[in-house]
Amino acid sequence: MCSVVVENLAKHYDDLRRGRIVALEGLSFVARPGEVFGLLGPNGAGKTTTLRILATLLKPTSGRAVVNGFDCLTQPDEVRRSIGFMSVNTAVYDRMTAWEMVEYFGLLYGLPRDVLHARMEELFNRLRMWEIRDVLGAKMSTGMKQKVSVARALIHDPPVLIFDEPTAGLDVLVARALLKTIGELRDHGKCVIFSTHIMREAEKLCDRIAILYRGKILAAGTLPELREKYCENDLEELFFRLITQVESEGRQSEARSEKNGRQVDHGDNAGADDDAERESVAIERPT
Amino acid sequence: MTWRNVRIIFAREIRDQLRDRRTIFMVAVLPVLLYPLLGLSFFQIAQFMGERPSRILVIGAREPLDPPLFENNRFCEIFFATPGEARLLELMFFREEPETHVAPTMPDGWEALAKEAITSQDFDAVLVFPPGFAGELARFREEIRRQLAAHSPSDSQNPLHVRSENIAPESLEESSNRNEISDGKGQPVIVARSAIPSPQIYYSSAQERSQTAYNRLHRVLEQWRTQVMIANLAAAQLPPEAARPFRLEIADVSAGTALQGAAIWAKIFPILLVVWSLTGSFYPAVDLCAGEKERGTLETLLSSPASRKEIVLGKLAAITLFSMATAVLNLVSMGLTGWLAFGNLPQFSAPPLSSILWLGLALVPTSAAFSCLALGIAAFARSTKEGQYYLMPLLFVTLPLVGLPMARGLELDLGTSLIPITGLVLLLKTLIEGQIAEALRFVAPVAAVTLGGCLLMLRWSVQQFNREQVLFRESERFDVTAWLRYATRRRPVPTPALAVLCGVSILLIRFVLTQSLARTSLTLSFMEQALITQLVVVLLPMVIMTWLFVDNPGETLLLRWPRWRHVLGAALLAVVLCPAFTTFKLWVTKLYPVDPAIAEYLKQLSPGVPDWPTLLFVMALVPAVCEELTFRGYLLSGFQSGLRSLEAVVYSAVFFGLTHALMQQSVVAFVAGLLLGMLALRTRSLYPCVVYHALHNGLGLALGSITAEFYRQHPWLESLANWTEDGLMFRGPIVAAGILAAGLIVSWMIPPWANRPATEDDGD
Repeated sequence: MCSVVVENLAKHYDDLRRGRIVALEGLSFVARPGEVFGLLGPNGAGKTTTLRILATLLKPTSGRAVVNGFDCLTQPDEVRRSIGFMSVNTAVYDRMTAWEMVEYFGLLYGLPRDVLHARMEELFNRLRMWEIRDVLGAKMSTGMKQKVSVARALIHDPPVLIFDEPTAGLDVLVARALLKTIGELRDHGKCVIFSTHIMREAEKLCDRIAILYRGKILAAGTLPELREKYCENDLEELFFRLITQVESEGRQSEARSEKNGRQVDHGDNAGADDDAERESVAIERPT
Repeated sequence: MTWRNVRIIFAREIRDQLRDRRTIFMVAVLPVLLYPLLGLSFFQIAQFMGERPSRILVIGAREPLDPPLFENNRFCEIFFATPGEARLLELMFFREEPETHVAPTMPDGWEALAKEAITSQDFDAVLVFPPGFAGELARFREEIRRQLAAHSPSDSQNPLHVRSENIAPESLEESSNRNEISDGKGQPVIVARSAIPSPQIYYSSAQERSQTAYNRLHRVLEQWRTQVMIANLAAAQLPPEAARPFRLEIADVSAGTALQGAAIWAKIFPILLVVWSLTGSFYPAVDLCAGEKERGTLETLLSSPASRKEIVLGKLAAITLFSMATAVLNLVSMGLTGWLAFGNLPQFSAPPLSSILWLGLALVPTSAAFSCLALGIAAFARSTKEGQYYLMPLLFVTLPLVGLPMARGLELDLGTSLIPITGLVLLLKTLIEGQIAEALRFVAPVAAVTLGGCLLMLRWSVQQFNREQVLFRESERFDVTAWLRYATRRRPVPTPALAVLCGVSILLIRFVLTQSLARTSLTLSFMEQALITQLVVVLLPMVIMTWLFVDNPGETLLLRWPRWRHVLGAALLAVVLCPAFTTFKLWVTKLYPVDPAIAEYLKQLSPGVPDWPTLLFVMALVPAVCEELTFRGYLLSGFQSGLRSLEAVVYSAVFFGLTHALMQQSVVAFVAGLLLGMLALRTRSLYPCVVYHALHNGLGLALGSITAEFYRQHPWLESLANWTEDGLMFRGPIVAAGILAAGLIVSWMIPPWANRPATEDDGD
């Protein structure tokens, strides 16, 4: 049984500067319990949009997303009960302590107080959070905040966990501990959807990977499958080859259409952001 | 939705706000400190102001006056309530020989001197006695005495009639010479010929100090003039009471009762309640919505199982509580300060206890309404900074609704009770004034309007929380050119923003045109004005905007050939709804009577003897075409491209209403706009709307032209309508039958399987 099923998902919206934006187009994948599914892609590829749709924060323009058997569009409440969602945009409250914050969300998940407190103690032990129990969010370091967010996402023991670039801004030690925690969650049979633009994390953690670029999946599969299919051992090189290929195809089709005197309607959805994306990719490239 | 989640969110928001220094300062510290500090500074400033003496330059007071005005280079102390007050007027006498400097005999000379003295700020006011003033005053009194002596031996039994223009204490300025007249009964009448020139006070109303000096000076001179009058009466051997034979006794029946104190509080408390419940809701709302967005916690909350509605309700409850707390603390602090500071004055005595009860009752809906409004606005804002920018415009919209009823002395009636906020303020005022029975009659409409407003605002807030582009609006760099390019890009049909722009342009052009026409000497007939208004105000902006931004004018302006059934149906609708609209118009004018001055002006404007073909062309056909193209064409299509159809109809009707000059017309036009909007929506063509509109206007003109005589000559009219002073009044059954017929016509026009419009009976 699949915990997450995404079928032909698309998301379009209007942007002031760039007009109609196609953030996602024809996205399909499945993720199963006990596996970490990685969404790998540069900034602006559509990772956050995909995960926001899974967390029912955004509604898809077309297509379907099913989480734990519940449809994201028609049963958003059930979907939210089944997931733990954590992203760079899910901050902790400044004026709440770690304990209050986790308790608050536990209550919103409808846990009875005694169950909740037992679960909180277990989590505080597991994540070694006792020293920040009574620290206000405003006084916490990034690592502490991340711990609170993880505890908050795990408090109701959801079957599906969605992590959107969870290691962004963390130092190596904290990031490593977090990745370890995610690994443990998988071992406990959770389905983890994990987005990142860092190849090493993906290589290390993900059971299956989808490479996302400009709102489309370029390739998907287990790491060995991908290596075999593209005859490339290094994930980073593989990633670059795919992206370069798409770009040159895009340019060719543009040139063709210009030659034919046709208007390029699509402009490949990201117009002004193209440069930014190329830049972000370039930064990751080892020299 | 579960109330448990609402409660959990509410509790968290309260705790969160209580930990926020800024909120605590706004809600609790500020009101507690504000009023005592204000009171303190008021007394300080009052003392400071009171202590400051005014410097007066006195010119031409060389001869002694009788009765005396000056002693020891000051005004006599008898003209003041306390001796201290005399010291507040410092006098400087112009000692120079006038001939050497200026020529005081010439008014220009004094004036130049006085102006110079005031503008140079050497003096606050100048008092000029004309040459020979004292002598003329004495001579006048002597004349009275002389004439009296000439008459009294022979006529001691008869009372004397003394006529003099200068005894009237009311005017210093007035002076005239009148010749002797007889009262026609042969009674001797003494007319004292007054040749006394006027003393003059120079001051500058533009300077605060000078204004104060004038007020003080004027009071003293009035007192002195009374003394002059008493002296003159004495010369005529009359007691001082002759001028004021009786006093007016004034009794305030509310004196000493709680109601006297209520009067002033009835004015202050409702304003404070509204202003502070708005302010008290706004800051927490901005922090709880825009602030959460800014700090990134909103996404955390939205990904929890709490539904958007639960989040909105939880936040709303917290905001309402803070709003109420702010209002209560302000009222208590203000009340206590006022009572401590002015409690000894009878008009500031403690408010009756019942007023506290009324305030408490009104507090909940007021706070809830403003909290809903603030929440919606705060949810729309990207950041706390942006949110706070919206407070000022909001206050500007709200304050007139609170202030105007107080300023214009508006009374609570059905009309005013239906105006949001104004109705609530008036109801509260009436309750605090103790007119309970009067107020209770209007509780229902006020409550309906306030609760309706609350629900609308709540829906709007939930909507804001459901809109992705509002929740995930990122604080991107705002680029004016990019925005303009985006906004003005040619599209098949206009965007809602362009529709708003068109509507606002129409309102602005109308304002500018009306004002400039009023200023020019150009005299236009009513018909010419009406024609220009239609072409320039209504049609022109729409034509320009269609030409600039719209790719598909046919689609935008609904220029689609209609079905004959729709055109016929529209024509029939206009006829059968005519009684309903006429009744509605009368009802609106009854509820909100037209200002008599405006009514008179309109009567002057209206065309005298109508030339029917021209009148129908200008007043029915042209408006039908122009207004339908603009409002049901451009605006409705524009709103429809981004909003729900019903919302689009309402917004286009709002602009249609606002375009009409008179508020009474606007209300009727708004309702007609709803009906026409639905017609356009259902028939997808503009032509039925044009037909309806032209017939509607034409029938209105025809009915308006019916005179009492015509009514009497045509007895069949009697079965349809009564003749009243307001004109033709349709009978109830006719109106009802019309509405019923309208329903049938609509169901005939639009096939039964299509959704029927809900507004066919809006006319009543």
